[in-house]
Amino acid sequence: MTRTRLIGWLAMAAVLVVALALGVADDGGPRTPEERARNLAETIACPACDGQSVAESDAAASRGIRTLIAERIDQGASDDAIRDELVATWGESILLTPDSSGVGGLVWVLPVVGLVLALAGVGYVFWRWRGMAAVHASEADRELVDRTLAPLSRARGEDP
Amino acid sequence: MTAPVTPESAAPDPLDDDVAEAPPRPRTGLIVSAVVAVLAIGFVAVLATREPATDRRRESPLVGKVVPPLAGETLGGGNFDIDGQQGRWVVVNFFATWCVPCRIEHPELDAFEREHRRTGDAVLVSVLFDDDPASARTFFERNGGDWPVVLDSDGLIASAFGTPKVPESYLVTPGGRVAAKFTGGVTRDGLDRAIDQFEQAAADPGAP
Amino acid sequence: MNAALGQGGVILGVAASLGGVATLAVALRQRRLHLIAVGRSYALLALLGAVVAVAAMERALITRDFTVQYVADTGSHKTPALYNVATLWAALEGSLLLWVLVLTGYIALVVHRFRRRLNDPLVGWALLTMLVVSSFFFLLLLFPANPFHTFDPPPGFDGPGPNPLLQNHPLMAFHPPMLYLGIVGFTVPFAFAVAALATGRVGEGWLLETRRWTLFAWGFLTVGIVLGAWWSYEVLNWGGYWGWDPVENAVLLPWLTGTAYLHSVMVQERRGMLRVWNLSLLCATFSLTILATFLTRSGVIASVHSFTESDIGVWLLSFFGLIVAATLGLIGWRGDRLRAPGRIDSPLSREGAFLANNVLFAGFAFVVLLGTVFPLIVEAINGDQLSVGAPYFERMTMPIGITLLFLMAVAPVLPWRKASGELLAQRLFWPAWVGTVAVVVAVLLGAHGLAPLLAFGLGGFAAGSALRQLVLAARRQGWRGVVGRTNGGMVVHLGVVLIAVALAASSSYDTERELTMDVDDSATVAGHEITYVGPRTVEEPNKTSIRARVSIDGHVYEPAINRFGEGETAVGTPAVATSPTRDVYLALLQVPDEDNGGRIVLRVVVQPLVLWLWIGGAVMLIGTVLAAFPGRRRRPIAPVSEPPRAITGARVPARSNGDGEAGRADDAPVEVPT
Repeated sequence: MTRTRLIGWLAMAAVLVVALALGVADDGGPRTPEERARNLAETIACPACDGQSVAESDAAASRGIRTLIAERIDQGASDDAIRDELVATWGESILLTPDSSGVGGLVWVLPVVGLVLALAGVGYVFWRWRGMAAVHASEADRELVDRTLAPLSRARGEDP
Repeated sequence: MTAPVTPESAAPDPLDDDVAEAPPRPRTGLIVSAVVAVLAIGFVAVLATREPATDRRRESPLVGKVVPPLAGETLGGGNFDIDGQQGRWVVVNFFATWCVPCRIEHPELDAFEREHRRTGDAVLVSVLFDDDPASARTFFERNGGDWPVVLDSDGLIASAFGTPKVPESYLVTPGGRVAAKFTGGVTRDGLDRAIDQFEQAAADPGAP
Repeated sequence: MNAALGQGGVILGVAASLGGVATLAVALRQRRLHLIAVGRSYALLALLGAVVAVAAMERALITRDFTVQYVADTGSHKTPALYNVATLWAALEGSLLLWVLVLTGYIALVVHRFRRRLNDPLVGWALLTMLVVSSFFFLLLLFPANPFHTFDPPPGFDGPGPNPLLQNHPLMAFHPPMLYLGIVGFTVPFAFAVAALATGRVGEGWLLETRRWTLFAWGFLTVGIVLGAWWSYEVLNWGGYWGWDPVENAVLLPWLTGTAYLHSVMVQERRGMLRVWNLSLLCATFSLTILATFLTRSGVIASVHSFTESDIGVWLLSFFGLIVAATLGLIGWRGDRLRAPGRIDSPLSREGAFLANNVLFAGFAFVVLLGTVFPLIVEAINGDQLSVGAPYFERMTMPIGITLLFLMAVAPVLPWRKASGELLAQRLFWPAWVGTVAVVVAVLLGAHGLAPLLAFGLGGFAAGSALRQLVLAARRQGWRGVVGRTNGGMVVHLGVVLIAVALAASSSYDTERELTMDVDDSATVAGHEITYVGPRTVEEPNKTSIRARVSIDGHVYEPAINRFGEGETAVGTPAVATSPTRDVYLALLQVPDEDNGGRIVLRVVVQPLVLWLWIGGAVMLIGTVLAAFPGRRRRPIAPVSEPPRAITGARVPARSNGDGEAGRADDAPVEVPT
């Protein structure tokens, strides 16, 4: 690597680190109660519709739950407390992200297991490939090729 | 010729009949296929045994628990609070005038209410769901019925009960606990039967 | 009349497909290969059947022939012409008609394309497979989902018209056909995959022949998905474009495996490797299209898109099981014997990158499939009800998406076989600067949060990499530098980058407010002045539209709530002020009426860069078309298991005649010195 290029890469890394540090310092968490309510509502399933969250739907039940969330946040309840309260009235299916405990936790665990297995599989394959000696043509192979090509060479009027 | 040629590179058709002479081949493909097949069978079995989404009844987690707070202004201008109804059965009915099954169940509710107003052992309260008071007033004028209708303009009562759609009704025991939830309309007989059952069960704790 | 005609078409389709299956089975079993050519006539007859059935249905729809049950259920005198034509795919039965039309169309194209090779058992097997599929779909139309049942309309009868959501935006006329062209299109490569497994001829050039079919199917599917997202944005009134709804996921699944295939097939072409894996991907893609059809149409999963229930679910599930069993059986039986020799020398190589790409896409598909069916699985295990929704999918797929962006940046500059760090440092230098500048610009514009910044940076990096490739190719080859698979692929990458950046920006920096407004009220949302000017009601033949005139920074927009006919639920129609930098989305939640003095409840969603999602989709389409053009690239290496005649063949002596057939430059090693 030339000196200038190396300096170029280092400069780039410096710029990137500074920019990312500035961008991430402001962590983007909820800043207002409304934002918090909306973030929470996005994880609650609309009970009257199919596959939408409470934040998106304008079904009456979703409006009610949005009001409830806003009221509870006003009263100083934590996100978990609100979610627990909703589960108590509506059941587990009101949460769009299943709890990480119990059978529901499988939905979080299985992809990770799958990823580990896939990486292990790929690693194994590479390991086997590495162990597999690269195939080099042996004397016998060359002889076979020469013999096969001989008629062709003669047809072209070349010396065998 | 003792050419150390690997069978793969020499055989143009890997499915030649002389495969038997080839060295043992890896069986990973077969194993993986078998594993996937087992998973697929399980998957198809799960899919095949599911009920259609619309028929899936959801038991209310509220059953057996203390009834959620239900208090507020009524259509007639008064106030209603379920805490004042201890000692009697309470039927909490969620309805809207735009909902067809609600219109169908209305005469049944009316009959139930008249009957129990006389006996005094049960009361009926309706909660207006996603509808405006004016329509509800017209609805009651036209179809009869005289029982408290609680307005729930911000939907808080419905969400405290976990009511996504109307009609839904809840049967609340004299002790203030939710005994049962009915979805898709009720009948007078059905409500009476349910009350009888629960009363018998309470009188005879040994019965199932 | 229309009913009888349509029914006739369906019966013709069933007969022709089944006849073709029987004939081809006999031909292949008894090796009477000349019989395969007869399959062609059956294929064309099946197409004729589908055309007749679709024409009869369209005629019935256009003339409002309510004696046809389907028209009585979904047609109406009030429906405008465009939506009336589109009503063909507005409900279950009609959509299957479109399906068989597209399928038999593809079969006819295959028959035409391979007309000179109809005595080849491989083509015979492919044709057999496709006719089995078309038999199945024609049988669906004959039994569980027959659209041509007759109905006896009372005098003055008028149907209800299609679902209100389906007659609310012109995109409805384009999104489903595109999706079907894509989904059904995967039948062709699947059929050839089955044929290759059945005949054991995996290494041959059929893969090259079907590559373009796969590419077109994939391109249509991409466009279909993007149009679907656009339709959802313009119609569903919630301010989003992708909700991870089960039906959306169901269509995304074959797209993911298809994308994986389009990448890994290059490893096979170039290195002769991953053959069985590629076949498996094609089989998985096709199986997933059938699974998608099942999930959409059986009512087993609740979704905004679900068709009405019918007992078609049993049929589709059985067919899915059959397909999976057959392909797994074939792969288990043949797979190990078809494996290619060879190895990938280094993970840091083009083929290594494709392998990583495949792991990621397979993982992506796994997460989406798992999340979609997980509630069903849990219910089967212990009876619990739970939901898996957007937050789950977002959290799980975001890291995969970010890693894919990184791969998109690095892979195009990697050489085959092996790369050195030196080489990467040199080739990635400018693309990496593009990414860095993207991050800096984003931070200066006020972007915050790690995930979106990574998306912008890696997006810039990937775009830089793609542009580098395009610039180099254009410098070398002129205008041809943008056609061909690699270069067209880079254009597709640019489209993907646009979509990724737009996704990250619009989902991370959106502002949403719900406003209750009286006439002349004003509010400011994310720097935009929103004023409620007044209500307006528009009567149209098929709907009553109650609108609110709302001005955004002085320009008036009219979000509306439409009522279609009597007793139908009202459907909101949003209004969107679009600009290259941000969209202001207005959804009317509560209509103005006399009771409330014209007060409205308005949802305002401000999202940056949404427009670039659709532009990105268009760029992907352009890239796909460019990639389908034959570029000036070397002929791929001779497949490993090509029959020996290719080596000893008579081609070489012909060359030595010196009759002017100049070997192409890339064949140089065999070129004869003259």
